[in-house]
Amino acid sequence: MSVTSPVSTTAVRAAGIWKVFNEGQSSEVTALQDIDLTVEAGEFISLIGPSGCGKSTLLRVIADLTQPTKGTAEVAGMSAAAARQQQQYGMAFQQAALFDWRTVRRNVELPLELQGWSKSARAARAMELLEMVQLADFAGHRPWELSGGMQQRVAIARSLAVDPPLLLMDEPFGALDEMTRERMQNELLRIRQETGKSVIFVTHSIPEAVYLSDRVVVMSARPGRITDIIEVNLGSRDEDTREAEAFFAGVTAVREALRGRTGGSAARARVGEV
Amino acid sequence: MNGRLRAVWPPVIIALIFLSAWQLLVVVQDIKPFLLPSPSLILGNFFGDFTLMFNAAIYTGTTAILGLMFGTAVGLVLALIAQRFGVVNKLITPLAAGLAAVPIIALTPILNNMFSITSRTPKVLITMIIVFFPVFVNVTRGLIQVQPVQLELMRSMNARPLTVLRQLRIPNAIPFFFTAMKIAAPLSVIAALVSEYFGGPQQGLGSRIASSAANTAYGRAWAYVVASIITGLIFYLIVLAVERWAAPWTGRARSA
Repeated sequence: MSVTSPVSTTAVRAAGIWKVFNEGQSSEVTALQDIDLTVEAGEFISLIGPSGCGKSTLLRVIADLTQPTKGTAEVAGMSAAAARQQQQYGMAFQQAALFDWRTVRRNVELPLELQGWSKSARAARAMELLEMVQLADFAGHRPWELSGGMQQRVAIARSLAVDPPLLLMDEPFGALDEMTRERMQNELLRIRQETGKSVIFVTHSIPEAVYLSDRVVVMSARPGRITDIIEVNLGSRDEDTREAEAFFAGVTAVREALRGRTGGSAARARVGEV
Repeated sequence: MNGRLRAVWPPVIIALIFLSAWQLLVVVQDIKPFLLPSPSLILGNFFGDFTLMFNAAIYTGTTAILGLMFGTAVGLVLALIAQRFGVVNKLITPLAAGLAAVPIIALTPILNNMFSITSRTPKVLITMIIVFFPVFVNVTRGLIQVQPVQLELMRSMNARPLTVLRQLRIPNAIPFFFTAMKIAAPLSVIAALVSEYFGGPQQGLGSRIASSAANTAYGRAWAYVVASIITGLIFYLIVLAVERWAAPWTGRARSA
C-alpha cells in the first residue's frame, strides 16, 4: 500500500458520528449511531448493508454534504468541510449526473472550470482522464449518446479531475446490468491501481464489495451502525478471482455478517489469508 | 431528406382534401360568403391584396415582437427572483396568475385611456401581460426543478450559489424556456391582434379583419385571418429554429 500523503496516512477518520433526522419529533429516525471508522491512505473500503442502514448518509457526512448531529469527520487530516472546500475528494453517484448541455469532455472539465483552470489546461487534463477511462473517442459526444456504463465512466473521470486523494462512490454501478457492472469493477480497480486513491464505496452487492475491497464494513439498519468489519485479502484481482475459493469465502463471511451470525462488533473475520 | 418528405406529405394531402371538400361544399350548396366564403375567394383576396396583407402583418407582427421581447424579459427576471427567494415566489405567483387572468377586453380600453390610444404602447403592454405569464411559470419551474443529485454534485465540487445558477439552474431551465416560448410566440400575435379591436391605428391585422367584415368584404376578412395564421406560424417556426440552434439537447431523452 503506497502512502503518498506526507501530512497524514489516514484518508478518513470518522469519530462518534450520530445522525438523527427529525430530532424530537414522532418521526425521529436515528440514521447513524456512534460510527467510528478509519480509512488508511490507499485503502479501498466498501460500506454494505440493507436499505436504511445509513451507508449513504455516512458517505454524505464524510463528503460534508450533510452535517452529523454529533461527532466529527476528518478527511486528509482536516475537517470534512475544509476537505470539501479544498477538493480533497471526488464523488460519483448512482446516477451519472452528467450535464446534457455539455459534451463528454466538457463534463469532465466541470470541476476544473470551477477551480479556475485555464481552458487549454483543463482540456488537456480532461483528455488524459478520458484516455484513462477509454472514452477519448467520445470526447465530443453528448451524454445521452452514451450507454449507462459509459456515462458512469465519464462520471468517474470527472470525480478524478482535480486529482483528489479520495474517491467517494455512492452505488455508482447500481443501475448497470451484471456484465457491464463486472467490467466496470475491473476498470475501477485498474484506475485505483494507477492512481493510488483511497476509495469509500457504497454498495448493495455482496460480491461487488468483496471483489473490490480491502475491508468490507457491514452495517445494520434502525439504528444505522457498524456491526462488522471484514478484511478481504485476495491479492491482485482478475477474472479468475471471481471463481476463487477465497472469493467465495469472503462472500460467505459478508453474507453471514449481514445476517448477524458472526455477531457483535468485536468479531473480525479475516478472509483469504494464504 | 426522403424521411423529411415523407413527414411533410401526409398533412399537405389532408389539407388539400380538406380545402377541396370545403370548395365543393360552398359551390354545390351555394353557401353565401357572409356565412362561409370559399377557399378560392379567400386565397384570391389574399394574393390579390398581398401588399395590404403583408403590411398589416408587419404592423401587428411588430407589436407582437415588442410585447414578446419585453414580456419575456419581465418573465425571466421575475423567475430568477422567484427561484432565489422562496417567499417572493409565493408572493408573485398568485399575483402573476391574477394578472394573466384579467380579460384582454377589459384591460385594453383601460390601457388605451392610460396611454395614447394612437400609439403602439397599450397594445405592446397587453401583449407583454399575456406573454410574461407562461414564461415566468415555466422558467421558474426549470430553475427550481434540478435533479437533487446534480445539486449534491455541485456542492461536492464546492460550487458557489452563483456558479450553481450559471452552470446548472439556467441550462436546466432552457428547455422549459423554449416550451414557454412555443406557447408565448403565437399567443403574442393573437394578443396584439385582439388589442387592435379597441381602436387606435387601423393598419394592423385585427383592425383590418374587423373593418373588412364591417364592409361585408368577407373574402378579404378571411384573407386577413389567413395572414394572421401565417404570422403566428412564422413566430412559432422561428422559436423552433432558435431552439434547435441554441439548445440542441432539448427534446432529446434526458440522461439519468
